Amino acid sequence: MVRLARRALHGLLLLIGVSALSFLLVELAPGDYFAEMRLDPRVSEATLRTLRSRYGLDRPLPERYLRWVASLARGELGYSFAYGQPVGPLLWPRVRNTLLLTVTATALAWMLAVPLGAWWATRRRGPVNAGLAGVTAALLALPDLVLALGLLLLALRTGWFPAGGMVSLGHEQMAWSERVGDVAAHLVLPVTALVLGILPVLVRYVRAGVADALDAPFVRAARAHGIPPRHVMFRHALPAAANPLISLFGLSLAGLLSTSLLVEVVMSWPGLGPLLLEAILARDFYLVLGPVLASTLLLVSGNLVADALLLAADPRIRAAGR
Amino acid sequence: MRGLWVVAVALASPILAQGRSPSAELLLSESEAGRPGGRLVFALRSEPKTLNPVTAVDIPSREVIGRLMADLVHIDRQTQQTAPALAKSWRVSSDGRHYTLELRRGLRFSDGHPFDADDVVFSFGCYLDERNGSPQRDLLIVGGKPIVVRKLDAHRVTVDLEQPFAAAERLFDSNSMLPRHLLEKAQQEGRLAQAWGLGAAPADMAGLGPFRLKSYVPGDRLVLERNPHYWKVDRAGRPLPYLDEIVFLLVPSEDAQVVRFKAGETDLISRLSAANFAALARDPAAGRYRLEDLGPGLEYSFLFFNLNDLGGRLEAVSRKQAWFGQTAFRQAVSAALDRDGIVRLVYQGRATSLATHVTPGNKLWVNRALPPPVRSLARARDLLARAGFSWSGEGALTDGGGTPVEFTIVTNAANASRVQMARVVQDDLRQLGMRVQLVPLENRALLDRVLQSHDYDAALMALASGDVDPTSEMNVWISSGPTHLWRLGASAPSAPGEKEIDELMRRQAVTLDPRERKRLYDRVQELVADNLPLIPLVLCAVECRRAVLAALTAAGARRSLPCISCTPCRR
Repeated sequence: MVRLARRALHGLLLLIGVSALSFLLVELAPGDYFAEMRLDPRVSEATLRTLRSRYGLDRPLPERYLRWVASLARGELGYSFAYGQPVGPLLWPRVRNTLLLTVTATALAWMLAVPLGAWWATRRRGPVNAGLAGVTAALLALPDLVLALGLLLLALRTGWFPAGGMVSLGHEQMAWSERVGDVAAHLVLPVTALVLGILPVLVRYVRAGVADALDAPFVRAARAHGIPPRHVMFRHALPAAANPLISLFGLSLAGLLSTSLLVEVVMSWPGLGPLLLEAILARDFYLVLGPVLASTLLLVSGNLVADALLLAADPRIRAAGR
Repeated sequence: MRGLWVVAVALASPILAQGRSPSAELLLSESEAGRPGGRLVFALRSEPKTLNPVTAVDIPSREVIGRLMADLVHIDRQTQQTAPALAKSWRVSSDGRHYTLELRRGLRFSDGHPFDADDVVFSFGCYLDERNGSPQRDLLIVGGKPIVVRKLDAHRVTVDLEQPFAAAERLFDSNSMLPRHLLEKAQQEGRLAQAWGLGAAPADMAGLGPFRLKSYVPGDRLVLERNPHYWKVDRAGRPLPYLDEIVFLLVPSEDAQVVRFKAGETDLISRLSAANFAALARDPAAGRYRLEDLGPGLEYSFLFFNLNDLGGRLEAVSRKQAWFGQTAFRQAVSAALDRDGIVRLVYQGRATSLATHVTPGNKLWVNRALPPPVRSLARARDLLARAGFSWSGEGALTDGGGTPVEFTIVTNAANASRVQMARVVQDDLRQLGMRVQLVPLENRALLDRVLQSHDYDAALMALASGDVDPTSEMNVWISSGPTHLWRLGASAPSAPGEKEIDELMRRQAVTLDPRERKRLYDRVQELVADNLPLIPLVLCAVECRRAVLAALTAAGARRSLPCISCTPCRR
């Protein structure tokens, strides 16, 4: 518990550090939200000054940071220049959509990666090994953008799946079960794109961990005692390979808000991706900082979860903590 | 006061229509008749940011608001002339400083509340209130003073200007009339700028446009439904709009827009790249849709050199300003540019070379007497030689002091066409012996250099005005204007022709005789073409359409188009 409390404190300090640093970096980026309005021949300098003043851009940097921290405490997360409203209410519905996508994809990727990686670890020579190595290397090399565009083309050519978005027109008029089916149909392509992006890394980690465990003396001893191979794998090798995978799982949680951003833009998924991309390009400072902070929070939480799981799974760590 | 009634009666005949007051003075649309019903799905590249007409600055917001709201006088985007809208007619005083507008009677907002002169006075008060920071406010300052809007009676208002203003009628376009009964409290409390965000409840909103808000799904779509109180009818007296719904669907990338359009999920897309336009045009499924040419737009791309007063800073740039400041140097650069090559290579033939900043899309004001720009390396060399430049043995251009002519061109990295255009320019100038480096920058970083730090040699950018009238370009061409990009913050004209352009622009703004205005603005265009403070490049015919490039499904969206054209897209 002491170890977890210490990690939580580290996490809090990290959160404060990241917030201050992100604020500074975003402020240092050249140009501001209102720069493009200067290209509108109808807008005068006086109007721009009024707008800058309204959003506090004429105030000193420390004052702006403190105001922003105060707005964090209120749950507003600052104020979007483009939308003219607090960032919090803009983020929450999109965070929900992003999590629906990434939680589904991450869960599916893990469910596929563990058995696939374990099976691969038992086939270290021959065509299965070469085939899986080739496929995972190709998927690792393929950019998410190309993957997503390829899947969109597939949807266009076959007509099997919706070509983007999260729901169909007329979704509101559907029965409850039809709505679930409609969202599921829209999930297929972006989830496939994400799973194909996440899976190769996970499979390779699982394979490496399980292969190491299978080579360990205690596993060889178990085999020599005539314990059935399935038993050896699930009772002995997989638990022994769990530690690096638990850490990787913590990192997966940390990426829940960020792994899908590009896929969301290409697939028109109404999550954080399109909002964040536009906010970055438009220098909508506080709208950029909101998701950055939320991602940091997830990183800290993911690490804490991984620590807790490691404590529960590995008696050596518990013993070291005492 | 001797006056002149300008606009007409024929369009204002009272017609009975469903949902409207029997005595309402409805406007008869002259558009092609269609069939009622249907839904149009329109893909937007980015989400509208607000539904508040007072604060909206982004194009998607204005596109949606254009369907929800209406203005007193409307600029017909086809004829580019003003036409009656909520004001059925108007009268101007002989000195050109006072306008009296007669409102249509019996009109109602989309929530059923009557519209009258109080709403007009309230609306202009909101636009002019400095607390609201409305981008329209600057348009309503004439001769340094805000216009004064007063109510004469329930259906008449007067508008007083500080001085005659040639484009006064156009002031009444783009200023949507607001419902006083819904927004007065917010305005009194200084909260108007925060009103009508995207989360606004449909019941809290009302407008005079053809549609009203039905629902909004964050990051996904915005649905508008037919306004039963709309004030236009078709030739047969049937109420407009025909469409039951318009859905604005957010599709953030252009490629995804094309895919979803081809999959039949959307009915309209806009601002396509030349490559995607060509792909759609040759697609085997092309029979299911049609590519409509809606005519050239107003956006012009151009190259310009840094002529800012750097006050001793940026020594490297300052040295080069000795070249950039010479008219002959800029003329030589212009003569060396292969604009036809840009048209062919960058826009696959779907663009037009420009001799000046006024595009052929501006039918009323373009100076057709100006010859199209012709590439001539011989002329370019001749101009440079006469200005004291020479060429080394390797063909590199050097100035009188023997310094090689080298400079960088900055442009927007996110705009692939513009980067390609800059590459063609780079190659053309290499043939003249100039060594040009291309520096694509992220857009805000580019704007920061051009508008704030002035740390650049030359830039390739584009500008588009919201209106064809020359007054909308005042900030660009007046030497002290905030959009006088190549020399910002100048207190007085300094470059050749600049003083005359200042005078001409100021005179045309207060000249009421349209022919005289045209003559004055023609001269401005001549001076720009001769002195080249900026070097016009091309008007691209695909990405820079004024309205949308409409590609319509065979499912019948075509029949519904006239009713959304009641308030055409604006840029």
